[in-house]
Amino acid sequence: MINPKEASKYMDNLEFLHEIENASDENISSCYQCYKCSIGCPVAAEMDVLPHRIIRHIINGNQEKVLGSKSIWMCLQCKACSVRCPNDIDIAHVIDTLRKISVKLNMYAEKDIRLFDNLFLESIKARGRLYELEVLMKYKIAKKDILSDTKMGIDMIFKGRMGILPHNIKDRKTLKTIFKKIEDDRTNE
Amino acid sequence: MVTLTYYPGCSLKTSSKFYETSIREVFSFYGIDIKELDDWSCCGASVAHTVDETLAHVLAARNIAIAEADGNHVFVPCSACYSKSKITNDKIIKDKGLRDKVNEYIYPLRCLGTTEIKNIIEIFSEHVGIEKIAKGLSFDLSSIKVVPYYGCMLTRIPKTDVFDDCEDPLGMDTLLWAAGTEVLWWPFKIECCGASETITNKNVTSSLSGKIMDMACAVGADAIITTCPLCQMNLDLLPHLGRKTDNIPVLFLTEVFELAIKGKLIGTGSHIIPVDRVIKKPIRRLKTQTQY
Repeated sequence: MINPKEASKYMDNLEFLHEIENASDENISSCYQCYKCSIGCPVAAEMDVLPHRIIRHIINGNQEKVLGSKSIWMCLQCKACSVRCPNDIDIAHVIDTLRKISVKLNMYAEKDIRLFDNLFLESIKARGRLYELEVLMKYKIAKKDILSDTKMGIDMIFKGRMGILPHNIKDRKTLKTIFKKIEDDRTNE
Repeated sequence: MVTLTYYPGCSLKTSSKFYETSIREVFSFYGIDIKELDDWSCCGASVAHTVDETLAHVLAARNIAIAEADGNHVFVPCSACYSKSKITNDKIIKDKGLRDKVNEYIYPLRCLGTTEIKNIIEIFSEHVGIEKIAKGLSFDLSSIKVVPYYGCMLTRIPKTDVFDDCEDPLGMDTLLWAAGTEVLWWPFKIECCGASETITNKNVTSSLSGKIMDMACAVGADAIITTCPLCQMNLDLLPHLGRKTDNIPVLFLTEVFELAIKGKLIGTGSHIIPVDRVIKKPIRRLKTQTQY
């Protein structure tokens, strides 16, 4: 039996639900907690809040529980939950939206993934294409962990599976302008 | 002779260069002409959308816009590039607001959604077909047992018409069967390999890819066949990710065709898990063959 007082507490706190629904364009309130998302999730074991609970917490307005969770960063975006949801909620996309908001509010629990994402995009912005070796080295330097995986790296270079030199595009100038414009629009939003 | 615009993506120029070589080899045999997209840039992969969705669409749209000028279908062998390009292309068609916004950023280029994005399974199914594959075989691969591994990005694109079933895809199964291999049924066709966690959280990849490798070994396969460069890489790197037990080689779909047509692999030296156990299988030359 739901305590009416408890229920009204949730009803008063719908702003967070509306915020996420608007930002993600997903109908989150249609979730009826069937658990299908959590059952099929390959990284459920690594999560502190399971996917179906994330959706429930959004509906209940428990902002800190989801934005500060490790789960939203463990998600691999494999979309198993999204294609299986009987209510057609793209849960992986909801999680993606939560990531953006948690970074914006500086509530994010897992910093490594965003560090890698930023280095990756930096490489694209500068060269147009990914320069794997540079991104990996920058990541390792930032993590102060240069010596791990050396054997793997050497084997990959030896087998021709890691480019030594970057491969830049010709029209880097235009691409950089596009990046800058998007970044400016994002900060002005 | 069919001509396709070819979008390689970053992987096929660096970590999976031998996949490109293999594609070119096999396509030239079947009479498919590929023309590399002029000055293509990264599609944004698994990263751009998680930082900024507009950026992700703009990056994908830039390439689609250049491709539209050619008027051919766009062939995208990398699963991540395929998924990202397809999502953007679909949205550009359906969502006028996004189309205008994206076109404003990429001006003077224009992306209107007039082309179609195709993955490698679609290309083989539509432009070669199983009959032509079966007739063109030079080597008998019936001694090789394979498991088709599709991964996530190829079939799981929410709210989009996908070329195959998202839970039990069969496109690659059919092609492998036509190429003469023994295709085994297994339950891990669409499991996740761990994606880019290889860099940020190695244990996740090693556990997820490890389970896939275990299952493939358990059903008695000689090789795992995939079309995705990241899946191939993660599975192939298992010996370096701390896996001690037995591994079987992970081949690209086109490499199976190479074996069926030429009886050998060009990219042998690029595989981290040695491919010997597959290429040393009794591959008998067939008497009749049709040349295209």
